[in-house]
Amino acid sequence: MANQLQLLILDDEPIVGKRLAPALNKLGCEIETFEDPERALKRIAEKEFHIVVTDVRMENIDGLQVLEKVLAQSPRTKVIMITGYATMEIAREALAKGAFDFIAKPFTPGDLRKIVAEAAKAVGFSLKYDAEAA
Amino acid sequence: MAVIIISSNSLPKAAQIAAETAKALNYRCLGRELLREVGEKYGVSEERLHKTLDELPSLLGVNAKAHALYLAYIEEAVLAKLSQDRVVCHGLAAHLYVRGVSHAFKVRVLADPSELIRSIMREKDLSPEKAAKDAKHEEALRSRWSLDDYRVDEAAPSLYDLIIDLSRMVPEEARMAPGEAVRIIMETSSHPKFKPMTYSVKAVNDMELASRVRVALLEHFPDVIVQADGAAVVVETTAVPREKGKKVEAIEKLVRSVPGVGHVEVHVANDIIRQAAESFR
Repeated sequence: MANQLQLLILDDEPIVGKRLAPALNKLGCEIETFEDPERALKRIAEKEFHIVVTDVRMENIDGLQVLEKVLAQSPRTKVIMITGYATMEIAREALAKGAFDFIAKPFTPGDLRKIVAEAAKAVGFSLKYDAEAA
Repeated sequence: MAVIIISSNSLPKAAQIAAETAKALNYRCLGRELLREVGEKYGVSEERLHKTLDELPSLLGVNAKAHALYLAYIEEAVLAKLSQDRVVCHGLAAHLYVRGVSHAFKVRVLADPSELIRSIMREKDLSPEKAAKDAKHEEALRSRWSLDDYRVDEAAPSLYDLIIDLSRMVPEEARMAPGEAVRIIMETSSHPKFKPMTYSVKAVNDMELASRVRVALLEHFPDVIVQADGAAVVVETTAVPREKGKKVEAIEKLVRSVPGVGHVEVHVANDIIRQAAESFR
């Protein structure tokens, strides 16, 4: 894996990637954003990411399937699930399948930065996360 | 913070298994002793708080208004602990109001019926027949209590992640000693799906804030429904049109005084019953 933290954001709503990428950039990671799960999975097959942030509910391939495919290919990758349709059952399913964390929309970019910083720590990166600024 | 909630048709059995589980996991064990703290905070006798958890509201016991208020006090105290600690909780009805929290692992322990009857015989000095009748009566009472207060029968299996029937434990000694039940609880609760996550921790924090707001409102506004999302609080209530503005103002003022509240919304529906009653005067 690269020296800089590699992060992929997948959400079929373009606004999510557009908003989250600059917010996570502040942590000093290299970010790629995708709206199409198939294209994201193709990219994941080519390149190993440290962290994948994925929406749960998407057409054709859902976030739980993405989670399984990512972990099958790269067990070290930390997958963070985001969703506007959170339920206890989906949250438990995500964790049972190996998700690093699960967060319900709406959330602030600061909320996600905090989780990404924790995930980064778990893969051996120390990011400059300022809880006060978040 | 990880949470295990144990409910049982035998309060002593739940307490015993909860204590052993907490000890084995190095968690805090939270049971009826919390009622002393609640009583001191709100100036209510411990006995009345016990009655609230054990009995239906009545004219000679705890009346309906006090019953609802005391339950709100208990919920507030329990949720405050659950949001701060790794806890094994029992005897405080948490299985009924801690809902939708993925890291709250709920266990129902069914006591061995013969042991249950023996313990009632000892405790109340009853014959086997009367003790069996008493056990049945107590079970029906618990169902009614939970249905009245939380609209769910606490005996419903769907409420729990794990049900342990002690009468089916093998070897037979395991029916009496908590060791095997504790082992099963520890093993099952360690599954990754019961780990705390941002979503579930927020759910507990939201419930905790909502419970504090309810306590602040209930004495003056017993009909309120409160929900919290982060620092935003939504209060639902009813009023006749001429009182709506005053009620909203009073509720907003009380809610804003609760630490942690950032935004308040009060939704008022027409109190049709009062309106109809007043129109006949």
